[in-house]
Amino acid sequence: MDRRSFTVIIAAVVLRLVMFTAFPSLPDLLTNRVELSTPVTSFKRLQEGLFLYTHGLSPYDGGVFHQAPLLLAFFTTLPSNPIVVYLVYILSDVLSAYSLIQIATSGVSVSTPYHTSSRKSSAWPPWAVAAAFLFNPFSIATCIARPTIVFTNTAILTAVAKGVQGQGIAAVLALAMASYLSLYPVLLLPPMILLAYDNLPAVKKKKGRSLGSFAAVLASVFTVAAVGLGTLSWGITGGSWEFLASTYGVHLLLPDLTPNVGLWWYFFIEMFDSFREFFLCVFQLHLAIYLAGLCLRLRKQPLFVITTLLGISSIFKSYPSIGDTALYLSLLSLYRHIFPLMRYTFFVTSTLLYATLLGPAFYHLWIYAGSGNANFFYAITLVWSLAVTVLVSDAIFAVLRDEWETERPEMKGKEIVQI
Amino acid sequence: MSILTSLRSTRILKLLPLVSALCILVGVAWLLLLPLDDYSRRTYISENALLPGQVHTYFGGSEQDVFRSYRHEVTALGKNASADGSGVMAEKIGGIFDAFGLKVGKQKFEYTAAGGVYAGENVYAVLQAPRGDATEALVLCAAWVNTEGELNESGVALVLALARYLKRWSLWSKDIIFLITSDSRAGPQAWVDAYHDLHAPPAVASLPLKSGAIQGVVVVDYPTSRGFESLHIVYDGINGQLPNLDLINTAVRIASGQMAIRTTLQEMWNHDNQYKDRLRTMLRGMVNQGLGHASGPHSSFIPYHIDAITLQAYGDGWHDEVTLGRTVESLFRSLNNLLEHFHQSFFFYLLMAERRFVSIGTYLPSAMLIAVNFTIAAIALWLKSGRQNTGEEEKSGDGRVSEEKRRLIESAGEAPSAAGQPVVVSEERLLLLSMAFVVAIHFLGFIPLYLFNNLDEKNFNSAFNIFTLLNIVLPSALCAIFTKSFAPTPLHFALIKCFSLLLLGMFLSALATLNFSLSFLIGVFSSPITFINPTPKRKWTVGTAWMILLQGLTPTTALVGVALYWGEPLSEILKEAAFGWRVWGMWTQVVVWCVWWPAWIIAGVQVAGSWAVEA
Repeated sequence: MDRRSFTVIIAAVVLRLVMFTAFPSLPDLLTNRVELSTPVTSFKRLQEGLFLYTHGLSPYDGGVFHQAPLLLAFFTTLPSNPIVVYLVYILSDVLSAYSLIQIATSGVSVSTPYHTSSRKSSAWPPWAVAAAFLFNPFSIATCIARPTIVFTNTAILTAVAKGVQGQGIAAVLALAMASYLSLYPVLLLPPMILLAYDNLPAVKKKKGRSLGSFAAVLASVFTVAAVGLGTLSWGITGGSWEFLASTYGVHLLLPDLTPNVGLWWYFFIEMFDSFREFFLCVFQLHLAIYLAGLCLRLRKQPLFVITTLLGISSIFKSYPSIGDTALYLSLLSLYRHIFPLMRYTFFVTSTLLYATLLGPAFYHLWIYAGSGNANFFYAITLVWSLAVTVLVSDAIFAVLRDEWETERPEMKGKEIVQI
Repeated sequence: MSILTSLRSTRILKLLPLVSALCILVGVAWLLLLPLDDYSRRTYISENALLPGQVHTYFGGSEQDVFRSYRHEVTALGKNASADGSGVMAEKIGGIFDAFGLKVGKQKFEYTAAGGVYAGENVYAVLQAPRGDATEALVLCAAWVNTEGELNESGVALVLALARYLKRWSLWSKDIIFLITSDSRAGPQAWVDAYHDLHAPPAVASLPLKSGAIQGVVVVDYPTSRGFESLHIVYDGINGQLPNLDLINTAVRIASGQMAIRTTLQEMWNHDNQYKDRLRTMLRGMVNQGLGHASGPHSSFIPYHIDAITLQAYGDGWHDEVTLGRTVESLFRSLNNLLEHFHQSFFFYLLMAERRFVSIGTYLPSAMLIAVNFTIAAIALWLKSGRQNTGEEEKSGDGRVSEEKRRLIESAGEAPSAAGQPVVVSEERLLLLSMAFVVAIHFLGFIPLYLFNNLDEKNFNSAFNIFTLLNIVLPSALCAIFTKSFAPTPLHFALIKCFSLLLLGMFLSALATLNFSLSFLIGVFSSPITFINPTPKRKWTVGTAWMILLQGLTPTTALVGVALYWGEPLSEILKEAAFGWRVWGMWTQVVVWCVWWPAWIIAGVQVAGSWAVEA
C-alpha cells in the first residue's frame, strides 16, 4: 500500500469519526432511514435481537430480527460502548477499502489472461479507487447508519481480493461468509471460481488442474463452509434451526413489506395472495437468470461479471439498500478506462442525484406530512432503479465494446449498431 | 455516444438557452392564468361524512349571559398587570374549567431564541366523549394574546362558554380539548409538541393529561367586545404545509351558508371575486406559504398532520359572539361526524377566493418548469463543455475549419482514450476542481445560517449590515482567490455553472413537492442566473451591468423586501426567523442560505470571471 492510499484511508477514518461524534443525532437519524436500513440489515433490529438474545430469549421471537446468529455472538462479545460499535463499522469500511486497493493493484480489471484493454493506461490508480469508495456519500451514509450490509460488503470485497490473487479457497471461504450473512452473494460463486482459476499462479496452472476439478473443489469447500457456519449458528441459538426460516426464509419469502429502495415491497403489497407464491418464484428466478449468460458472454472478464451481478442484485434483490449500490459503484470505479465508452453518464448521475433528493422528500410527504401516499415513494424507487439499470447496461455495453475494439483496433471511434 | 454526437452536431444545442427562457416565461404565465375561471375550480366538500350546516345549532339564549360574565372575568384578568405572566391566568381559567367538572391540565414552557426568552403557561381541559373511547379528539383553542398582541377577550370567553355548553350534549363521539395558550406563537407549539412527546422536557413541561389522536383544531381569535363584520379564515401552516381543503370548505360553508357571515382569506377584506383580487389572494397565500412562518396559533398543529384553522373576527358589524359560537358549534358537529382522518380532499392547493382553488396538478407545472429551466441550462452547458474541449485543441491550430475538426468532433466521446494519459488526468482535474468549488460554496452557506440563528437579537441590525456589505464584494473576492490559486480556464467556469445549475434545479424541483411557493419564488428570483456567462471578450460594462442586476436579486435584498412588505423593522424579521428556527422547526432559512445563496454567489463569481479570465 503506497502513501497516497494510506492518506486516503486515514482521511476517511477521520471523516467517519467526526461524523459519528460531532453530530450525535446523525447515526440514529440515518438508522431510521428506510433507504439505508432494511428489515434484514437494520441496526435497530439488531439491537432488538441482541436484547432478546442476552436475556435468554430466542432472538427470532416476535418477527423483528432477521439477521444471522453469528452477528449476535459477535456483538455480545463487544463492550456496550457505542464508540466501539462505531470503530467496528469504520474498521469494516477500511478493510473493504484495503481489498479494493488490492484488487486495483492486481490490475485484473484492465487485463486478464484472455483480454487486455487497449485503454489500460487510463485506469485509476489504487488510491483513487479506494477514495471513490471511501468518500462516496452513499458509502459514508451507509457506514453511519450501521446496517449489517457493511459486513456483507466487506466479505464480498475480501473474497474478490482473494480471487484476483488466485487464492481460491480463501476467496470461497469469504464468499461463504458473505452468503451466510445475506444469502444473495451465493450467486457470485460461479464467477468467483472463474476469477480465482484465471488468476492462479502460473506454477499451479502448469500442474494441469482443469477448470472442472478446480470448480468441484471450490464448490465443495463452499458447501462445507456454509454448512459449518450453519451448524455454528445452530449451536449459538441453543440448538434450534429457527434461524433458517427467520433469516434466509425472509430473504426468500418476503414476509416483511417495509418500504425500501427496491421494487419488491410495493409489488407484493398490491398482490392478491393467490398469486404471491408464483411471483415470488418469478422474482427470485429473475435474479438467478443473469448468472449463466453473463458468465458465458463475459468469460474473459470474470471480475466484471461479479461487478455486474452485484449491480443487478442491488436493483432486483428482495431487500436492497443504498449500501448495495455503493458496493456496485465502488467496484465500477475499477473500470474507469471504459467510462469514455459509456453513453449515459450525465443522465445516470443526474437521475441518481434527483432520486436521492426526491426520495426522502416523498417519503416525508407520505409518512410524516400525510399529504402524499405510497405511490410517491414508489415512483422514486422506480426512478432510482431505472438509473441503476441504465448504468449497469451501459457499463456492459462499454465493456463489450472495449473487448470488441481490442479484437478489431481498426473499428475504434466508429459508430456501431446492434442488430 | 451516438445521441451525444447527434446532439452536438445539430442546432439543438444553440436552441437550449431559448428553451430555458421559454420554460421561465411559460412557468410565470401559467401561474398568472390560474385565477381565470377556466383554470381554477369551485371548491366542494369531498368527504361526505362532514355534512356541513346540516344540523340545527342551539348555542344562544342564556348562554349569551354566561358568555358575557366570562368576558368580564377575562377582561378583568387581562387588566391585572400581574396576570400577563400567565401563571395567574392558568390558575383562574383552570378553576373555571374545573367548575364545569372537566379534567384540567396545565403546562409551563420556556423557550430561548436569539437571546429572548419566551415563557408562559398553557391551560386546557378535556371533555371526555360520552359516545367515544378516547382514541380521537378535537381541539377548540384560543390564545390568551393573539398574534397582534391584543388580549383575546371574547375568544377566550367564547371557549369557556362553549366548554360549559358543549358538555351538556351527549352526542360527542370524539373527546373535545379546550385549550387556552398563553400566547399565539410559542404556547401552541409547546402544547402540541408535548402532546406528541416530542418536547425538550426541562424547558417545556410534559402534559399531565392527554386524550386520543387529534383530528381537527379550530382556533378562535376575537379580541374585541364589539360585533364583527366578517370571518377571516387563516390556514397557512409552518413550512408552507396546509390543512386539508375539506376543513376550510366546511368552515366557509357553515359560516356563509348557515350563519350568513361573510368569509375572507389572506387579509383580502374586500374581494370582488374578479381576476385581480383572485390573483392577489393567491399571491398573498404564496408569500405566506413561501416564508413558512406561523400565521396563527393553528400553524403549529399542521406539521403533526393535524388539520387546523384559525377563525378571526374582523371589522365592525352586526355579527356577535352568539353567531361565532354557533359557527363553532356547527363546525364541531361536522368534525364529530368524521369517520376517519381528513384525507378525501386536497392537501396541496392555492386558494384564490373563499370558494375557488387550484389543485397541485394544475399549478405544479409552473414551479417545475422554472426548476427544469436550470436543469436544461445545465445539460446545455455539459454538452457544450464537451464540445469546447475539442474546440480548444482545434484553436491551437489557428482555428482553421478543416477535416481535423471533424475528426476531433467525431472522436469527442473518446478524446481521452485517443489522446492518451495526459488528457484524462486534465479532464478529471477539471471536473474535480469545478465540483469541489461548487460543493465548497454550498457548505459556505452554513455560516450565515448559523450566524443568523444564533446571534443575539440586539446585534441583528449591525450583523445584517456587515453581512450585506460583505455579500456585495464576496463574489469578486472569491473569484480573485479562485483564479489566483487555481488558474482556471473558461471551461472551469462553464462546468462550475453547469454543476451549480444542476444542483439548483434539483433542489428546487424537490422543494416544489414540499413547499411549492418557496420553490417558485426562489426560482423566479434566481432565473437570471441561467443566462449569466463569463464574457471575457466583451467590455467590462456587460459584466458590470450583470453585477448590478445580480446585486438587486440577493437573498439580503429579499429580506429587506419582506421587511417592507410586512412594514416591520428588519431586526424583527430576523428575530422572527431565528424564533421560527428554534421553536417552530421552520427551515426556510436552510433553503435560502444553503440553496439560493450559494447559487447566487456562483453566479456572481461567473460575472466576476469576466474580469479575471483571459479570453
